Amino acid sequence: MACSNLTTMWVSPKPSLSDSSSLSFRSVLNPLPLPNHNTSPSRSSSVSPIQSSLRELRDRIDSVKNTQKITEAMKLVAAAKVRRAQEAVVNGRPFSETLVEVLYNINEQLQTDDIDVPLTKIRPVKKVALVVVTGDRGLCGGFNNFIIKKAEARIKELQGLGLDYTVISVGKKGNSYFLRRPYIPVDKYLEAGTLPTAKEAQAVADDVFSLFISEEVDKVELLYTKFVSLVKSEPVIHTLLPLSPKGEICDINGNCVDAAEDELFRLTTKEGKLTVERETFRTPTADFSPILQFEQDPVQILDALLPLYLNSQILRALQESLASELAARMSAMSSASDNASDLKKSLSMVYNRKRQAKITGEILEIVAGANAQV
Amino acid sequence: MTLNLCVLTPNRIVWDSEVKEIILSTNSGQIGVLPNHAPIATAVDIGILKIRLNNQWLTMALMGGFARIGNNEITILVNDAEKNSDIDPQEAQQTLEIAEANLRKAEGKRQTIEANLALRRARTRVEALNTI
Repeated sequence: MACSNLTTMWVSPKPSLSDSSSLSFRSVLNPLPLPNHNTSPSRSSSVSPIQSSLRELRDRIDSVKNTQKITEAMKLVAAAKVRRAQEAVVNGRPFSETLVEVLYNINEQLQTDDIDVPLTKIRPVKKVALVVVTGDRGLCGGFNNFIIKKAEARIKELQGLGLDYTVISVGKKGNSYFLRRPYIPVDKYLEAGTLPTAKEAQAVADDVFSLFISEEVDKVELLYTKFVSLVKSEPVIHTLLPLSPKGEICDINGNCVDAAEDELFRLTTKEGKLTVERETFRTPTADFSPILQFEQDPVQILDALLPLYLNSQILRALQESLASELAARMSAMSSASDNASDLKKSLSMVYNRKRQAKITGEILEIVAGANAQV
Repeated sequence: MTLNLCVLTPNRIVWDSEVKEIILSTNSGQIGVLPNHAPIATAVDIGILKIRLNNQWLTMALMGGFARIGNNEITILVNDAEKNSDIDPQEAQQTLEIAEANLRKAEGKRQTIEANLALRRARTRVEALNTI
């Protein structure tokens, strides 16, 4: 009696259960959005209902987990490198401070003289050299793209003005871009490596120096990415040559910044999150200084000082570019890790529901089989 | 009374301590600096810097720049500086040979300027190894 009651109890809800289970199957799979993430593995991005087996889903979850580990590690590596890049900037400060001080002093003492140094000669512009600083590796968001787009825009401007141009490309990404476009005349391909030192800056400076002195070009402009903050960086164009004797850094529109003002960025933590603080400081230029006797002609001395200044400018540009690339990579990898963990979560949910549905199905089959024998 | 010497390059401070005497190569020849030297400012050529500490001479290769000699304070700003103990003899010799080959191949004013600069630098590095 009790048995038959039980079996009827099992039998009657059976059809409705199986219906609802198949309904729940479909309802589980359809609303699954599965957005196209950057890190989604190369398999099909939409889960075809019922065909994708549990094993495929499990493999996919594993690969997403691995990808997340990689992107997380890349982010930490980039953060460590930003610190190192910042140290390099700090190490270069004594040099640029002293240089600025000396330049000021000499300019004061040479107020009345007419200085005629080759590097400051302003000629009518017929040809412009563009030094384009890009990165070596990818996976850094839009970093390389921004700079290259800015370079292309500037080239179009120069063409519109009827000026000839040549490009000096620093960085593997820029090199490969310009190599594929033979219609853009490129003077030299250089690489900065993982940490720009004075040697690399010297290589660029030599090239630029010889181009300008031999009068092949009349103006040299530097295109690099200025490091504004961890999430923002700006591609800027600075006029490198001809230098102004006072050592001002001039923007392409003619806005000049005094050389004594310097901006430093510092990677610190605020409320547990990495942030960057910029501080402007002014190099103290002593009003009173011992009247230095010049061993050589003042012109010769300026001749020796200005290439130093050129070098330090180029090095600063390379360092800032590197810092922006690292910051861009940090934020790109961080968002990739977040996307990967979201994807893993949604995939796990699908996996679990499938697994449970499969188990329920098996139970139902067993029960149906048991009932059929009765 | 000792001199305080500071050798600065754009990416690091190469030397910052007290010395007894230095011999510097400038555009107008070599000058020796002892304590209480008169304050002068001079351009530094691509050449050798010799430093004396307690009867021991140390050599450094400088790649051109500027020097300011004040009240017992010498500040040298150069594009690059290498102590002779940091230079690899074979690598320096190879760089010299490559530079000479480049100079022979150079065509036109621009390449000659570049090649000359590179040659002078390479030569200075090799010289730094050869002097004491």
